[in-house]
Amino acid sequence: MTMPSEVRTSHWIVRAIGILYVFLVALSFYLLAASRTGEAQTVWQVLHPAFLPVLFVATALLIVLSISPGNTALKMFLIMVHSILVHSLFSIIFPAGDLSGQQITLGHIRRVYDNTILHGLSGWPSRSPQILFVESLAGSNLQAALSTIFARMFSLDIFYVHLFFIPVLWGVFVPFGSFLVAKSLSGSEQVAVLSALLVSAFPYTIYFGAISVPNSLGFIFFLYSLYFMMRYMSTSDSRTAYWMVAFSAFAFLAHFLAGVVAFSLLLLAIGFKSYETNGKASTKQAALLIAFVTAVWVLPLSFICLSYFGYPVKVTFTSNRISGLPLQEIVGLFLLGDLIFGYDLLQILLVLLGAVIGALTMIYLIFRLGRAHLTKFRLSAYFLMTSFAVLLADYGILEIFMDGLPLNAERLWVFRDFLAAPFVGLAFYSIASWTKALLKVVRGKQERRTLHVSGLLLALNVLIPIVLSAWVTFSLSAGYPQVAPLQTTSYELDAVRAIDSGAPGKYVVIGDTWTIFAGERIVGVHNPRAYYFEEYDKVGHDLFASMEQNPSKEVMLQAMNQTNTSVAYFIVTQPRIGNELFYSVVAKAEQNDLQIYGAFGDGKLYVFYYEKQT
Amino acid sequence: MCSEIHLSRLESIIIRDSKLVFTLSSYLIVLALHLNLNSLQWPALGVSLSIPYFLINGVFLSHAFFGREEGLFWTMFGILLLVMVLGSVGWLVMLVYNLDVSMTTLTLLITATLCSLLNRRRMKHDNAI
Repeated sequence: MTMPSEVRTSHWIVRAIGILYVFLVALSFYLLAASRTGEAQTVWQVLHPAFLPVLFVATALLIVLSISPGNTALKMFLIMVHSILVHSLFSIIFPAGDLSGQQITLGHIRRVYDNTILHGLSGWPSRSPQILFVESLAGSNLQAALSTIFARMFSLDIFYVHLFFIPVLWGVFVPFGSFLVAKSLSGSEQVAVLSALLVSAFPYTIYFGAISVPNSLGFIFFLYSLYFMMRYMSTSDSRTAYWMVAFSAFAFLAHFLAGVVAFSLLLLAIGFKSYETNGKASTKQAALLIAFVTAVWVLPLSFICLSYFGYPVKVTFTSNRISGLPLQEIVGLFLLGDLIFGYDLLQILLVLLGAVIGALTMIYLIFRLGRAHLTKFRLSAYFLMTSFAVLLADYGILEIFMDGLPLNAERLWVFRDFLAAPFVGLAFYSIASWTKALLKVVRGKQERRTLHVSGLLLALNVLIPIVLSAWVTFSLSAGYPQVAPLQTTSYELDAVRAIDSGAPGKYVVIGDTWTIFAGERIVGVHNPRAYYFEEYDKVGHDLFASMEQNPSKEVMLQAMNQTNTSVAYFIVTQPRIGNELFYSVVAKAEQNDLQIYGAFGDGKLYVFYYEKQT
Repeated sequence: MCSEIHLSRLESIIIRDSKLVFTLSSYLIVLALHLNLNSLQWPALGVSLSIPYFLINGVFLSHAFFGREEGLFWTMFGILLLVMVLGSVGWLVMLVYNLDVSMTTLTLLITATLCSLLNRRRMKHDNAI
């Protein structure tokens, strides 16, 4: 059987686009590697100028492939590679990834990797039984176990495994999860593929997919719990309910926030499922309303309960944040949070765009869901819309009415974006389908046919990919920070490594917070052999302040006595403390007979040492 | 199309696990990983040994829990489930004692055994039907 020539040509074009796409993605990875630097504040300072244009063209080609007929598995594979690329900027460009809390996570995980602790991570300085219980369940333990196992399997240092742990897991499993959710919502594989691609167009998902913290791992498992919730509502198979609970439990094991949100939406799913069963309408409506209200309040109340478990946080309800504020600022806070203070308009637009398109599609669907051909997906769609409303309400409560939260309420935007992504995919796929349908109609007509056909082909194959590609590419600029402190530099890492390999015994390092961050990454926190004071430790800060004023053997001896070590090192870095202070400290240290252990980064970092006399 | 058929055939062969060939292969891989960790420490060897470990046990798990669903769904879910099982077994081992080289090897062995048992249970169930 031979294919019609038109189909053969179309296959040939799709194949050529695929090959060009693979080449451009490989080039993008190369450009990222070429941008790698030892010293930078943001990725934008050092990113190769050709990276964004190449990424833009590659994304446009991928969108063309996504909306063309073809092998779904292959499309998903390409989307996963693309997603890994988009989430790897920190890990490839910076020598030690982003300074975002992931260094502390790595510092703790390294203790497991180096076998310096038993029975996992307790996480907090005080070790009440309640904390140990909750930390075992919802601390960094799951990530610690997974990272350590992968590091040992691959025979790689935990440092490298940690850097790429979330970017790779996220790159693979978030598009796939988004694909599954969108397929459950729409029943269309092409909508699902588009949704899998567009989940990378949300700045907060880009950011959390680029840093290896437990919360990011929790987001991944949350997405699958969401999928099983939707499946639970459309099937009578009892095993689906177990999976729904299992993934929610895993989200909780990975991170408290993801777990609590998963369980609150699980309550809502049960409410929706019971609504479909036979019974009195008013009772079912009341049950659904109770499920909604409970789902909204589970998260805020869980934060209040944290202090009962002995966590050193005091979360309270308050109206202080909005007292005296004009109404428009209250609405602004509710919708955008702290973004309304000092961020540029493009940033706000990019953060909101996906959610707004998702919300508009939801509203449109509400009016259309009565139609017979959509009945099958009605429950899933209503569930996702209600979950979206729950998260909006939760964000408002956390942002406006709560004080002392241990995390930013903006993290809820990742959940919100996960819920919006399938609707965004649906919206753009509908536009593409509508254009295709119009194209068919216009092709059949004789009047001004060429003009109409070329106009619609332009819209379908050029405009839609360009607009979506521009959105994904611009979202990177909002996802990766434009302003940041100097990231951990290569010479700080070199200094920490050199000290660790050359130290004669147990040692302590006196340094600023940035030195501590570098130390955490290489030797871990609370390492009894290589002592770095924790970043919040006042003793460490005081010792460094004393050394800044007068670098002396006495202060170093004091540090050794406090930490029961035999050698003390003092690290001072020029870009961290400024030229004047740096040269003054180095000069004073030399005057006071402190030995130079080494100079790193072309003299930007000095290490002094003093060994206890026996 | 051709590669899909090959992949599907490979999955069928792994699921059948005749004479426990793939279970034993998993054990051998774990042994090789252990030896690599203790002596050579070659990342290239570690990564190349880990890929078949993930493939075999991922296929076992996806078959055990989801039977034969769509191709993409099948493979991806298997790997995700393997990550979850590895994570939970590793998490338990870590809480009970620690995750040093020997305990990691034990974790990999427990996971491989668990995956094989679950797959065989499903096979028996399928054959009974």
